[in-house]
Amino acid sequence: MGWPNKNLQYFCNLSIFVKFSLSNNQKHLIFSLEALTDNTLMLGVKAGQLDKMGLLFERYHRVLFAFLYHSTGQAAQSEDLVQTVFYRMLKYRHTFLGNGEFRTWMYHLARNVLNDSIRKNHRMVYQADVTLMSEKTVSTPAADIQLEKSQAIEMLHTALAKLSSDHREVLVLSRFQELSYQEIAEILQTSEGNIKVKVHRAMKELKHIYLKLEDGTRQ
Amino acid sequence: MEQDNKDNINAHFDDDEKQLWEALGKIVTPPPSTEVKTRFYAMLDTYINEVESQKTTVFEQSLHYLKSIFTYKPAYNWAYAMVLISIGSLIGYFSGNMIGKFSNNQAINSQADVKKLASEVQEMKQIMMLSMLENPMATERLKAVSYTQELNNVDDQVIDALLTTLNFDQNENVRLVTLEALIQLANNPKVREGLVQSLLKQESPLMQVALADAMVKLQEKRSVKQFKKLLQKENLNEAVKGKIEKTIKVLS
Repeated sequence: MGWPNKNLQYFCNLSIFVKFSLSNNQKHLIFSLEALTDNTLMLGVKAGQLDKMGLLFERYHRVLFAFLYHSTGQAAQSEDLVQTVFYRMLKYRHTFLGNGEFRTWMYHLARNVLNDSIRKNHRMVYQADVTLMSEKTVSTPAADIQLEKSQAIEMLHTALAKLSSDHREVLVLSRFQELSYQEIAEILQTSEGNIKVKVHRAMKELKHIYLKLEDGTRQ
Repeated sequence: MEQDNKDNINAHFDDDEKQLWEALGKIVTPPPSTEVKTRFYAMLDTYINEVESQKTTVFEQSLHYLKSIFTYKPAYNWAYAMVLISIGSLIGYFSGNMIGKFSNNQAINSQADVKKLASEVQEMKQIMMLSMLENPMATERLKAVSYTQELNNVDDQVIDALLTTLNFDQNENVRLVTLEALIQLANNPKVREGLVQSLLKQESPLMQVALADAMVKLQEKRSVKQFKKLLQKENLNEAVKGKIEKTIKVLS
């Protein structure tokens, strides 16, 4: 039997080699991993297997909560927003095309949800969750150094609250979500260089606010 | 990659900013409450149920849509009126067409009927005429000959009957009237031929003169031969003789 195409022959040989060089367990792992990437899961949801959204929820609800928590400063509201983001993922599942990262699409939706909620109640601004912070301070040992540290962190929280919303957004994405500049640029639909500049400016603004707060406490 | 990212970021920062950046990393994100999970799965369940119930009720939805089309909405009064008017005019237009076609058909039918009737009447007249020609009463036979003028299409049967009458009827008046009738039908070659042949069969001088006049009137040159034969006949009336000679002169 002659091979119609040399490349095809090469490819088949390669895949046979790969198959034989892997143990059964490894093969199983590779196949199941492939079946469980974010994109394949979301495409499955899009195709009507709605229960696959559960797995995506398990993977991302903490990350999403963190993003929303650091953007709003409020835990309860962030939980509501997480709910809304996942609801929108279901509702607008047909808009997921699968040619980009699932994460990028998710952040898109999350940002829209965030903007909508800000628009709905104009009064809603970043507010540090007082109860949560106090709980945290209570739970820490009463050693002086640790108290000081926690006070510093609390001050940083307040500084973050006073930051302009788009500066806070890039900081949240880059520092808390630990996304690369490229990913942030994709989510915000600008260039990587632009994000770099924005992060730098945000840090400068944060420093300015923080130093002011520090002066205030000293006085 | 992540390490690179951090180094990159740090490269632009001054010392304070670097410290802040590190401090930011120490901010702890509280975990979401367990309620988030329960709420999510409840939402997912209801959503899946909703989608499935939507699937099953596609038929009902379309039914509902149809119903909504046909339920009366006061806001659409104008639209209803327009629809009714247009439906009415359409019905009117088409039914008018239908009636027109129908009446046309009727007219065509009645025309055909009239034609059929007329031809039947002609046939009747013809039969009546033929039977009347055999009537022993001369007056009846005269009537019959006069009927030929009313016939539109005279066929060979009638012509034969008329020529027989012309040649063999006992009554001279009948023969004269028949000659008049045949002159009217002189377009037919058979009639002309019959008239020419009739010359030698007539005994009565009156008929001979009348035939001579007819031949002149029809400019029938074939009759010259017959006239010459007639001249050779014995006991020919002198007046007729003179008339025939004149006729021969005119025709030849």
